[in-house]
Amino acid sequence: MIETGSASSSLTEVFHTKHGSVQQCDKSHQWLIEFAGKSAKFDYRCLLKLKKAVYSIDIERALLDTAAVPDVEIIFLCACEHCYVLSVAEVIALKELLQGTFVMLELNHLITDCLNRLVY
Amino acid sequence: MKDLIRVRSLISAEIEAVLNQQIKKEAYSSSIYLSMASWCDRNGFDGSADYFFKQAEEERHHQMKLYKYVLDMGGTAISPEITNIKIEYNSFREVFEDALDQEVAITQSFKNIAAKCHKEQDFVTMEFLNWFLKEQREEEYKARRALELFEVIGEEGTGRWQIDKHVGSIKYDSEA
Ligand SMILES: [Fe+2]
Ligand SMILES: [Fe+2]
Repeated sequence: MIETGSASSSLTEVFHTKHGSVQQCDKSHQWLIEFAGKSAKFDYRCLLKLKKAVYSIDIERALLDTAAVPDVEIIFLCACEHCYVLSVAEVIALKELLQGTFVMLELNHLITDCLNRLVY
Repeated sequence: MKDLIRVRSLISAEIEAVLNQQIKKEAYSSSIYLSMASWCDRNGFDGSADYFFKQAEEERHHQMKLYKYVLDMGGTAISPEITNIKIEYNSFREVFEDALDQEVAITQSFKNIAAKCHKEQDFVTMEFLNWFLKEQREEEYKARRALELFEVIGEEGTGRWQIDKHVGSIKYDSEA
């Protein structure tokens, strides 16, 4: 993980793919998601809601059943200011980005947990 | 990089998910006991109806205990939807057979959660679970004893009437 701890931003990259990136801000406890030409900040609750919304999209059905399903997926999150309107390909890309992000957050958790136990 | 998710929640997403499943199972138990109480009442087994009303309340209490734990740890507790509750039973005995099956399934489910806690070294949730593991001893004991009344007393003659009278007095008072 690359620390870019300048005065203006305390953003740490969590994960990136060729379609987008997720950065964490330790100060504001938020994540900055750059995806589909949009840059949006998510707090803990909204990030989990986004994960849930994206993971629950039936990609297989969207690809196979082209007649019944519209070509765009609208990801609207309750009590969250951001909204995504994505093609199926973009949904796959966002899912990949989020999966990688949560793996990295989990890894960070395991490392932090180990280090804390060594110290205290 | 700060562990921001840990800051918000003591339990992992996986533990949160299995606890929510358990909340649903306890709610199901409560509903099924309520349904058993209804059947017993309809068929003249007042003692057993009382017994199952009490069990239904206990299960509701278990559900709430889990529910509040998930919330207190920073998780999202999900209020479950309960469907497919059996209304009719073929016999008085079948009610108690089902009750024991239900308790055995619940014990098994807690064992699975405990195994997950060990795997993750989530000692905090493990400690919380100990109360339920101990409770299951009593729950299984009572369900098993109730079913044994059918063997000890027998169903012939006034047997069922006697069984119904004795169900309420089953107690588990182990010091262990
Ligand atoms: Fe229970
Ligand atoms: Fe029980």
